[in-house]
Amino acid sequence: MDIAVEELAAGITKVVLRGRFDTTGAVLVELPFNKIITEKSRIMVDLSAVSFLASYAIRVLLVGAKIIDGRGGKLVILCPDNNVAKVLRTAGMDALIPVLQTESAATAVLTS
Amino acid sequence: MTRMSSWEARRLVLRNDLTELQRLAGWIEGWAQRGVSADVSFAIQLCLEEAVANVIMYAGAKDSRLVIAVDVERNGTTLVARIEDNGRHFDPTQVPPPSVATSLEEAKVGDVGIQLIRSFASGMDYERRDGCNRLTLRFTEPQTASQRSG
Repeated sequence: MDIAVEELAAGITKVVLRGRFDTTGAVLVELPFNKIITEKSRIMVDLSAVSFLASYAIRVLLVGAKIIDGRGGKLVILCPDNNVAKVLRTAGMDALIPVLQTESAATAVLTS
Repeated sequence: MTRMSSWEARRLVLRNDLTELQRLAGWIEGWAQRGVSADVSFAIQLCLEEAVANVIMYAGAKDSRLVIAVDVERNGTTLVARIEDNGRHFDPTQVPPPSVATSLEEAKVGDVGIQLIRSFASGMDYERRDGCNRLTLRFTEPQTASQRSG
């Protein structure tokens, strides 16, 4: 599981995750992810290169979104593949965290 | 490709340690890429990960005597996975569905693992036998149009 950060325009931070976001992967990225959450307020989490998503990963994303929301910021999810999107829907995350298919759509939500 | 004519029953025994989930994932990937559809492969990986993680985190916390055995076999177009552990009694089929949150503020963290198993597996049964939890999960390959007509 890899994590990379890109700074975009309008104060948006893109967090690109790659690999299996399973329990082991989520434990690995939890600390660096939480550090970004505490420092930034407009976050786009790119899941396009994530092949697998487990409940512990959902926990990491949800905790991050709740912290950002409590500060008046926003977190959105970008481009999950079909099965990853199904996991998010099953867990009810798509009703809580915006899931967008393009970077421009995600940018629009984050800057609205 | 969903033919599984050379498919055999498989078994893996795991220790009470979250690092064992990596071994579980490697074990599943090793055989699930052969003769199992991508969707069923994903479902098996997800459900076994959630079920075993549940056992390690809740059924036998810090108990070095806990052993988890995972068996998978094929029955026609259905894959049957059994997860057996000697931890304390825990019946996931009796866990109520999580409440549906409508805002991040009220959203509760956790409790989605069993919901994922219910959704991604075709069936789930539990029994307590000889001091062990035994969870049985079934995964059915979707029939193709030619299979339905033939």
